Amino acid sequence: MKIFSVWAILTLGLYVLQTSFLPMFSYNGVSVNLMLLLTVSIAFLKGHHWGVFVGFAVGVLHDLTTGAFFGCNIFIYMSLGFLCGKFSDHIFKEQFILPVFSSLLTTTFYYFMMTAFLHMLDYKLNLQWSLQYTLIPMLCYQFLFAYPIHKLVFEVNKRFKK
Amino acid sequence: MSDKIRREKKSGKKIAALIFVFVSVFCLVFFAARGRFQAPIANKTVALILSPFQNSISWIGDKLSFITTTVSDIMHVHEQNKILLSEVEELRAKNIAANEFEAENQRLRALLGYKQVAVQFDLEPARVIGRDAATWSSMIIVNRGTADGIANDMAVVTEMGLVGHVIDAGINTSKVQLILDPRSSVGTLIQRPESRVAGIVEGDLNNPTMPRMVNIPKNSDVIVGDVIVTSGFGGVYPKGIVVGKIKDIQNEESGLLKYGVVETTVNFQKLEDVAIITQSREAPPAPLEQNNQQ
Repeated sequence: MKIFSVWAILTLGLYVLQTSFLPMFSYNGVSVNLMLLLTVSIAFLKGHHWGVFVGFAVGVLHDLTTGAFFGCNIFIYMSLGFLCGKFSDHIFKEQFILPVFSSLLTTTFYYFMMTAFLHMLDYKLNLQWSLQYTLIPMLCYQFLFAYPIHKLVFEVNKRFKK
Repeated sequence: MSDKIRREKKSGKKIAALIFVFVSVFCLVFFAARGRFQAPIANKTVALILSPFQNSISWIGDKLSFITTTVSDIMHVHEQNKILLSEVEELRAKNIAANEFEAENQRLRALLGYKQVAVQFDLEPARVIGRDAATWSSMIIVNRGTADGIANDMAVVTEMGLVGHVIDAGINTSKVQLILDPRSSVGTLIQRPESRVAGIVEGDLNNPTMPRMVNIPKNSDVIVGDVIVTSGFGGVYPKGIVVGKIKDIQNEESGLLKYGVVETTVNFQKLEDVAIITQSREAPPAPLEQNNQQ
């Protein structure tokens, strides 16, 4: 129970930071998505069961508050939690290079999944413009915050591991 | 051997459950997008839990922003002082002229009944305490909710013009959909008396900072620079609120209609304080017209 409370507090804290404080440093309306980084880090460290669970919880939180279409973020976070969690057994937990660089891949995955959902919901998107003004800033922000978030998750996980 | 079979059965069940969850969530997206699935209680609960924290962090952010601005100002104060001294004389002269303009402005305002136009709205001031991380949706969260008399579909404005409308009023926070959101559509008119062409302003995913005014007939006389105001059709937005001005006019793909790229009067990147129109009344007749009739 204690371990769940710790992760819940961490998630809420990061989410509040993401929606209230970090948008002050946004570029063209795009700022860092800490929930994505949190899901990926937890999945890498704790496996796909936790990855899917955290992806679901974080997705619900995101979709209920500021999400565009209910379910999109849940689906994408869960998918990422599952996929990254599958690598959990094959990486050294103390090595930060893979999780940090994987933030670029996961962000690209998130972007294209969201674009796919928008297309399926009949929203037209100029991909070239969007790649330049949405994906590139997103990648920069995510890469910048990937290490601190992974380090934070790693320390919390180490401290509160059963 | 039996252990192995039991483990395989368990693993199979897990995979089936996982596939079920993924498919359910995927379907949920399309149900929710068409309005067939809503979770208002969960929405309100989450908003209620998060709002105190968002308020606090937003407040800290404001203070930090204030401190950094102050420090930056102090660093440049010496240089600024020299420039300012030379400007003081110039400004003194301008001030006299400005006072004249102010007096003239006040007279004109009284004459045109601007004040009376303003009192047709009951406004509830609110502070922006949260906004989405990406540009998929243009949504903000403000620190006023049903406890302050806020309800869904109330228009949100600033002194510069239209911001959006409340789509989900919680107890002490509300979710506001900006006019930049692709799902938003605002009934509008060209303000120019000779034109008065009606159209719909909707968000553009390809240009999240500039919405488009669509459904403009090809033979209409809309020109670049025309000011757009709300038409009052649809019941959400009261009539006469400034939305922006036409920056560019393009032909629709169909060839029958054209659309205008709208430069909003509100700077959405620097949106900090807004006002929610809790009640709007029919505007009283302008004093100038009354005088003319008499």
